[in-house]
Amino acid sequence: MAVATAPQKQNIHSQGSNFLLALPVITVLIIFSIYPLIYMFALSLTDSRLARPFQEFVWLDNFRRAIEDQLFQTSIVNTLIYGFSAAIIQLIVGFTLALFFYRSMKTGKYLRTLALFPFITPPVAVAMIWRLIYEPNAGLINYYLRQIGINPADPIAWLGNPDLALFSLILVDVWQWTPFVFILALAALQALPAEPYEASAVDGASPIQSFFYLTLPMVAPALTVIFIIRVIGAFKIFDQVYLLTFGGPGSSTQVASFYIYRVGFQQFDTGYAAALTILLLIVLTIVVTLLTQFRNAVRTRFE
Amino acid sequence: MSRKVTIAFLLTVIALALTSFTVVAQDLPFAGRVINFLTIQPHAVASREAARLFEEETGADVQVLIVPFPNITEKALLDVVSGAGEYDVVEIWYTSLGTLAANDVLLDLTEWWETNAEAIGADDFAPTILQPYTEWDGRRWAVPYDGDAHLLWYNSALFEEYGQTLPTTWEEYVEVCRAITEAGAANDVYGCGVMGLPAPIIQVGSFANRLGGFGGAFFDAEGNPTVNSPEAIAALQNMLDAAPYALPEPPSVGFDEVIGAFSVGRVAMAEFWTDFGQIVGGVEGSVVGETTVAVPMLVGGSNTTPRPALNAGFSVGVSTLAQDPEVAEAFLLFLARPEINVALNTIVGGLDPTRLSTFDNEAYRTHVTPEIADAARTAILAATAWGNTPEWAEQQEVLNNNLSAALVGDLTAQEALDATQAEWERIHAGG
Repeated sequence: MAVATAPQKQNIHSQGSNFLLALPVITVLIIFSIYPLIYMFALSLTDSRLARPFQEFVWLDNFRRAIEDQLFQTSIVNTLIYGFSAAIIQLIVGFTLALFFYRSMKTGKYLRTLALFPFITPPVAVAMIWRLIYEPNAGLINYYLRQIGINPADPIAWLGNPDLALFSLILVDVWQWTPFVFILALAALQALPAEPYEASAVDGASPIQSFFYLTLPMVAPALTVIFIIRVIGAFKIFDQVYLLTFGGPGSSTQVASFYIYRVGFQQFDTGYAAALTILLLIVLTIVVTLLTQFRNAVRTRFE
Repeated sequence: MSRKVTIAFLLTVIALALTSFTVVAQDLPFAGRVINFLTIQPHAVASREAARLFEEETGADVQVLIVPFPNITEKALLDVVSGAGEYDVVEIWYTSLGTLAANDVLLDLTEWWETNAEAIGADDFAPTILQPYTEWDGRRWAVPYDGDAHLLWYNSALFEEYGQTLPTTWEEYVEVCRAITEAGAANDVYGCGVMGLPAPIIQVGSFANRLGGFGGAFFDAEGNPTVNSPEAIAALQNMLDAAPYALPEPPSVGFDEVIGAFSVGRVAMAEFWTDFGQIVGGVEGSVVGETTVAVPMLVGGSNTTPRPALNAGFSVGVSTLAQDPEVAEAFLLFLARPEINVALNTIVGGLDPTRLSTFDNEAYRTHVTPEIADAARTAILAATAWGNTPEWAEQQEVLNNNLSAALVGDLTAQEALDATQAEWERIHAGG
């Protein structure tokens, strides 16, 4: 018996120490993540204003209102389009660039430093740059379009045309975040072992075969993680909408985070804004769950 | 020996200087006391100047805290709700007055106004701004600080070049805009700039200019919404009619776009505040110079009296959590003085007058030119106000969203304003 109890006591002691060691992290998590979430959920069930929270319990009224709110529906659709389009384009372009530079320049040291610039540029500066680029008459894009003979009767209003505005914002996001994808993809490529390539070369595999049967399978799990990171990042888009289109023209660039900001901090309707945030959180959770399953499937398929 | 004498002499001089400085500082009524003044970024220069002048006169230290214009109401609210009490004096976009007062952010200054009636001199404030800037729910909460109404600015050289005369009605405005845009297509010249970026201060401002011009108003005398009146629909229709000929594309055109295009001679007409001439003249590469001229807003439909809108406009109030309410109230009284109104309106980056006497002041008239001073006075004396109740924040967003939908063709003018009216009535009824 005595022999059996000693490790048990040690185990209990060890568990206690582990808990104590984890306590600061758990406390921080509770204070900064769980408490705000509970507070927000409670807020969403009430009629609350910025200066007067919890005036009256309205239970699910805010959620009912959100489901009927066409602007919110539009904002969710726009967010999905924006998030997935931006992330897919960034992944394709970033990975292609990484492949190119991985082959032509093994270290890529200077290029990586240069590539940092777009995503360390402050959002206000990015917006100013792109506002000039998109300017209908004197902007860079329309200027070059005119140079190559594309000269429509009315200049193309990249940010003023409801059919183009969201695409224009996606392009800004692609410009800003593709280098980030490029750097991560390059790092993933540089971490690949050399042996399989040497073996495939001995077997007479072509570069295309090497890519599809070696590179892509080995790098796919990393790419899916990068993709998930970018989808989540793009879902939170706010600054470029605020600075470039203010959600317009019409509601064509009204994305969820910007709409929630307007409800919460322009109309001061924080109860409703909290309900919208919870719904956005649910949508984001579904998306991330699906993407995680996709990542697991990729990992299972290729590992 | 002489060195010792010299040192003693110098020490004496320094001691005397310090003593006299201390005596002067102690003579000032608020020496050593500090207040924080929350102001918006566009008024940074004027507010700093106001602080400096008050410091000179009273010895109080006024810390000017600057925030972006769209965030000022939220900052003032959160300061009180959180209990931080960082601000003593807050600048108020008048449309937020009811929101701030109803949420106990502002001290009720009704009795203070009565006590200081003579010093405040309410009769000298433009009557059109006095109520919306200072009153809500029958009480007074603030004093006027910056009077803001749009004027119609035009480039006389472009009018001459394209053989046009200045419109007198909004209907003529559309025609002139179309004529210049069609004739100026080869030179990228547009007849007008219609600001339709969906930020309320921009897009609702453009609509409000026409609303008053056509004789409409947001509310009737009892405060009931009238935003789908025939005048309002005609006003929005006029804005939609001008849009195809305006600087492309109105839904993405805000202040910067209009300033940039006007300053290089690409836009013939623009709606802006009284400092537009100085702003566009100051843009690097500006070509407009003396060709920039302003007139009061136009009329439309059967209305014959120009009634521009009070787009923007600010007052100042005292926070309920002010650390030093006495100095804060003294600062308000100081800001209300006629000579301070003149001083803050005769600097580059200054304000717009709230006092009638400022429009007649020679220094002001010289600063902005007599023509602009007269146009600004005509504008502000006939101006129509936006709402200032706690419901306005929500009403404004509804209107803004529907204007935005109309501007891209998703709704007609009638549909947009009918939808707005229905929502406004629900909000007004407390729904």
